[in-house]
Amino acid sequence: MAGTKRSKRFEALENRPVHLDGFIGEWIEVGLYAMGSPQDPKPSIKIEGDKIVEMDGKPRSEFTAIEQFVADYAVNTKNATEAMAKSEIELSRMLVDINVPRTECIRLFTALTPAKVARVLETMNVVEMMMAMQKMRCRQTPANQAHVTSAKDHPVMLAADAAEATFRGFKEIETTVGVVRYGPFNALALLVGGQVGRRGTLSQDALEEAFELEVGMRGLTHYAETVSVYGTERVFVDGDDTPWSKSFLASAYASRGLKMRFTSGTGSEVQMGAAEGKSMLYLETLCIMVTKGAGVQGLQNGSISCIGVPGAVPSGLRAVTAENLITMCLDLEVASGNDQTFTHSDQRRTARTMPQFLPGTDWIFSGYSAVPNYDNMFAGSNWDIADVDDYLALQRDFKVDGGLRPVQEEDVIAVRSKAGRAMQAVFEELGFPPITDDEVEACTYAFGSKDIGDRNIPEDLKAAERLMKEGITGVDVAKALAKRGFRDVAESLILMMRQRVAGDYLQTSAWVASDGTVYSAVNDPNTYMGPGTGYKMSDERWEEIKSIPWAIRAEDI
Amino acid sequence: MAQNEELIANVVRQVLKEIGGAAPAKGAPDSGISAADYPLGVKRKDLLKSPRGIPFEELTLENVESGRVTFDDFRISPDVLKIQGDIAAAVGRAQIALNFGRASEMTKIPDARILEMYNSLRPHRSTKEELLAMAEELQNQYGAAVCAGFVREAADVYQRRKLLKGDLPSTD
Repeated sequence: MAGTKRSKRFEALENRPVHLDGFIGEWIEVGLYAMGSPQDPKPSIKIEGDKIVEMDGKPRSEFTAIEQFVADYAVNTKNATEAMAKSEIELSRMLVDINVPRTECIRLFTALTPAKVARVLETMNVVEMMMAMQKMRCRQTPANQAHVTSAKDHPVMLAADAAEATFRGFKEIETTVGVVRYGPFNALALLVGGQVGRRGTLSQDALEEAFELEVGMRGLTHYAETVSVYGTERVFVDGDDTPWSKSFLASAYASRGLKMRFTSGTGSEVQMGAAEGKSMLYLETLCIMVTKGAGVQGLQNGSISCIGVPGAVPSGLRAVTAENLITMCLDLEVASGNDQTFTHSDQRRTARTMPQFLPGTDWIFSGYSAVPNYDNMFAGSNWDIADVDDYLALQRDFKVDGGLRPVQEEDVIAVRSKAGRAMQAVFEELGFPPITDDEVEACTYAFGSKDIGDRNIPEDLKAAERLMKEGITGVDVAKALAKRGFRDVAESLILMMRQRVAGDYLQTSAWVASDGTVYSAVNDPNTYMGPGTGYKMSDERWEEIKSIPWAIRAEDI
Repeated sequence: MAQNEELIANVVRQVLKEIGGAAPAKGAPDSGISAADYPLGVKRKDLLKSPRGIPFEELTLENVESGRVTFDDFRISPDVLKIQGDIAAAVGRAQIALNFGRASEMTKIPDARILEMYNSLRPHRSTKEELLAMAEELQNQYGAAVCAGFVREAADVYQRRKLLKGDLPSTD
């Protein structure tokens, strides 16, 4: 443009944050194609006996490991001929037709091939997908999950943030680390802090698969989520797993009474350079069906850590909405993303969340950063703690249950302080490096880790190692808490240990109420069939959502 | 609330009618347990106990403090996993029932051995013979027939798709 007279309008637009985002045109060969790539397979099925001998144009002898697994475990051959005979438009209309019950949609969608499922979604616009989500999500009552991490992996700050997050309404909390060796302490901080904020909280520590299973077995976490599956055989193997190894791992979790879900997302195969020219949504459909076939109750998807990829291509965020919907159509719990940062534009990041926020999903975020963005060790989040009042306002503006509630400053200070003191007691009882009163005070009132001091990291890491080596369990932590007068927190830990014996939270879309009752798709199934049915916000809940503390009250004027 | 429960019962009946019949036989309900018994922790505490037989109601903080209940009591039993599988199958989730069936068998395998077995099933870790030997161990040592069949199936797929040890230009 040198030498050309510039429009001030265009110059101003180029300086807007959205111009810092990456956008790229479609590129079929590398799989930079959201939905319906010309190279996607054409749907087909041939069944002999009860075995699929041809699927989506490929004979069984040429199936990849993923395709064989999906054909043998994820497609209900009994209904397949009937379901595959229906046109794509017929099937997508069933999803938005309030007169077709969810159960009938599930019966047919669990009998379709991957190419067929992807094609059905291609016939839908994003509003139709949202309508379908309202009916198809497994659990009737929506809920929300938070990230709780710290740039300093500070155990006291993590416990305080965990307590605040669950007090605000997040029913699941997830952590990961800056420094890997802090992993055991991060798990401990969420275990203690999470129960201080709300009894019944489910917590997890997202790290390497084997470590996650080990801390879970010890009763330091309640569930796992970062168990990744992929849509091409090459990427699956690069990820060091197969559908069989991942299924075996899934059963191992269940055998220890631990909740778990898989993770996948559009764009991961492109990012790992082996999309084989297929569309992101087609490959993601294979991931969802691997999850179904493994008998895992749910899936975290919605592009997740690859959101920059679908976020850059045309119809990409529509594909992300579609992948959440497919998960629901296969009767799986969905933790629907909205996590990793993908844009500089406030408009885009808000809009990206609406397809899950408005209709509601099992877990709208997976998760919402309950800490400042600079403390988010999952590479930032689309929403963070600084946005939480905006979120509360949106719940109120649209009368939507997004899983959170307004809170009072003094109450938050109280739970943060209690979580810090509980950690202090546990550390002292277990002989870990001391936590001072000043540290508890600083973490109680801090916004983020920039407001607090540093720990003696080498000493902490030595102690974290000892926690693992000595086989310290959730029961040991409960005993320490009880001994030091945190009896209610100790009771909460035992209540969660009991969940492992009952196994109720292994069912689809489960969360645990403060009295220990599990709510899942079994006892809170989605019954939506049009206006006046399905999830109905109680008067009590609406009063809570309405009561943002900073709103002017008519009686005060 | 009563209305809500009736609604749930209707939905469950509908699910059973429409899907129950199509569920693979392996997870089919035969324990007499239905979705109406869920959650077990509220409605069927009588079915729940620790592996050595301590009743669910007695898994309390007081008993932990007195030493009567230990960490090992907070483990799910193979029977409860089967019951949860039956519940999943009853609401049309046959694959979950299969998963819980494998899990039920795995309760007998020590933690460390489970982790090793998982690692052996990862791609390019084991020869076909090693996987078949693992299947034998699952079957004979732990009575885990379903898991054994699953590993044998993996061995065949890994052979066909070249995912066995040595199939790669050596990376390990």
